[in-house]
Amino acid sequence: MTWRGFKDAVSAKVMFLFASFILSLAFLMAVGLYWRARPILAIRPLKTLLFSAVWHPLKGEFGLASFISGTLWVTVIAMVIAVPLSILTAIYLSEYSHRRVRELLKPVIDLLAGISPVIYGVWGIIAIVPLVRDYLMPFLSERFAFFPFLSDNYTGYSALTGGIVLAVMVLPIIISIVEEVMRTIPFEMREASQALGATKWQTIKHTVIKKALPGIVAAVILGLSRAFGETMAVLMVAGCDLHGFPKGIFDTAYPLPALIANTYGEMMSIPLYDAAILLAAFMLLVVTTSFNMLAWGILLRIEQKGL
Amino acid sequence: MVMICVVCLIFSTGFAEDKVGKNGTVTISGAWAIYPTAVAWAEAFQRLNPKVKIDVSAGGAGKGVADAIAGLVDIGMVSRDPDPAEIGKGIVPVYILHDAVYPVVSDKNPCLKELMKKGIKRQDFIDMYITGNLTNWDKIFGGSANKPIHVYTRSDSCGAAASWAAYLGKKQEDLRGVGIYGDPGLLEAVKRDLMAIGYNNFSYVFTRDGNVLQGVKIVPIDSNENGSADPDEVFEQRDRAVKAIEAGRYPATRKNYFFTKGKPQGLVRDFIVFCLGEEGTRIVDQVGTSLPLPKAERQKVLKSLE
Repeated sequence: MTWRGFKDAVSAKVMFLFASFILSLAFLMAVGLYWRARPILAIRPLKTLLFSAVWHPLKGEFGLASFISGTLWVTVIAMVIAVPLSILTAIYLSEYSHRRVRELLKPVIDLLAGISPVIYGVWGIIAIVPLVRDYLMPFLSERFAFFPFLSDNYTGYSALTGGIVLAVMVLPIIISIVEEVMRTIPFEMREASQALGATKWQTIKHTVIKKALPGIVAAVILGLSRAFGETMAVLMVAGCDLHGFPKGIFDTAYPLPALIANTYGEMMSIPLYDAAILLAAFMLLVVTTSFNMLAWGILLRIEQKGL
Repeated sequence: MVMICVVCLIFSTGFAEDKVGKNGTVTISGAWAIYPTAVAWAEAFQRLNPKVKIDVSAGGAGKGVADAIAGLVDIGMVSRDPDPAEIGKGIVPVYILHDAVYPVVSDKNPCLKELMKKGIKRQDFIDMYITGNLTNWDKIFGGSANKPIHVYTRSDSCGAAASWAAYLGKKQEDLRGVGIYGDPGLLEAVKRDLMAIGYNNFSYVFTRDGNVLQGVKIVPIDSNENGSADPDEVFEQRDRAVKAIEAGRYPATRKNYFFTKGKPQGLVRDFIVFCLGEEGTRIVDQVGTSLPLPKAERQKVLKSLE
């Protein structure tokens, strides 16, 4: 083999090695987390771990239910706010706005995606906590004294606050994907629809959105998994109360990632405590990875088949 | 390759060369609360012994303990009391510094006058933080308006929460209240909420010039339960608070430890002795984030090291 050929073969192998190493990282992480979480799975049935709301690790009680429901509350609130807002924004950007407006707005939206979560957290404390405490909570809980609005937490640190901050964080992700997907739809389809007498909105509703639906779903799932795993910003504003099981949007919520960030560094030397927290981490990894894979699967199909 | 380097590094710190004649390496990791003081100690010790190298890194008390148990570091810095499981793994805690937590309220609290006059009893704190039965400021001070207590606590596991819980006879996981991340966050939340009660580390409540931070007041703890806040239970100045802690009059204090695997020996022991000596004590005061142990206490610890 010539020297040149040798170099070529070696570099290909080395690059393959690096690539497979990167790919196996996620898998290794999952195995490692599961391995370290085994001590707790060995002595407590998974059902108690997932459905018990009593968290007293030093007394041997490891119920993750209130953290799981905290995660769900915050994520659901974030999606309820973010999904309609971002889809409408994306429709405006791709269908209505002037080219120059779009070129101006897109970098701004990308900029929002790049801001560090801590900054969102600080902004949440300064702006959203007082907003919820002084306006939203008094207004909504007095006028609508029923299910999701009832609470005796008047501090402003709540699931809703976390949800609002998260919504702002996932907006740019959903907007940019949905907008990209919509712009891949051939212009001729819109022309055909309008030639049949459809108005612009009818065209969007019946042609563009219908065609882009799988992409929109994928974008929402990607936003969802971001919201699910986001730690710092939520941790700073959701009012992580260990003893409050969230029953409404104004109750405090303690999401799983926050639990891990808050306790792992201090408690990793206490045997079962660390296993319980690593179990939480394992669950989080599994859920976000499967969300992500689902979303990319959908996006990949769109790419292959075209719209 | 990188892995090999890392492994080499870990081993090379373990096999510190000849430890007699003050040369070698001491590695330290752990709690953020002790970190600034430990760095200052390390600098001073290295100035005295130019051949010694001391590596200090932070990362949380749990990391300090885990590293000390695994033998990755010589000393783990820990800002809470040791867990029995940790002692079982051969950890020897050396009491090295102390610190205090103070209950705080907003200086615009509607009951402030009464509060500063009467103080709050330990049982009332227990009812706020542990049982959750006490939910109204009026219940303590006998008003009739509806003034709910907004109880705040730390969400991250930390020495401050652990010692506040210890004062109330419990653990951090028993504390109720809205969880806020970090000392500064908690202070900010209390400042902005008139009905709030929270607690903060000694080093956060007092400013550099020795006064209580703007916007908050330290709640007098009525330790002798006589129904009024006596002059020695009210703290507006840093030096008065320090005196009360050193005299053992202030109830909500906490211990900070150096954890070593087995009894400290050689260079590690020399370093600990230095930290507990006169020079080490002076450095603690200079850094100002923790408090040195009283003299009698230091002597007791030094004796246990022999």
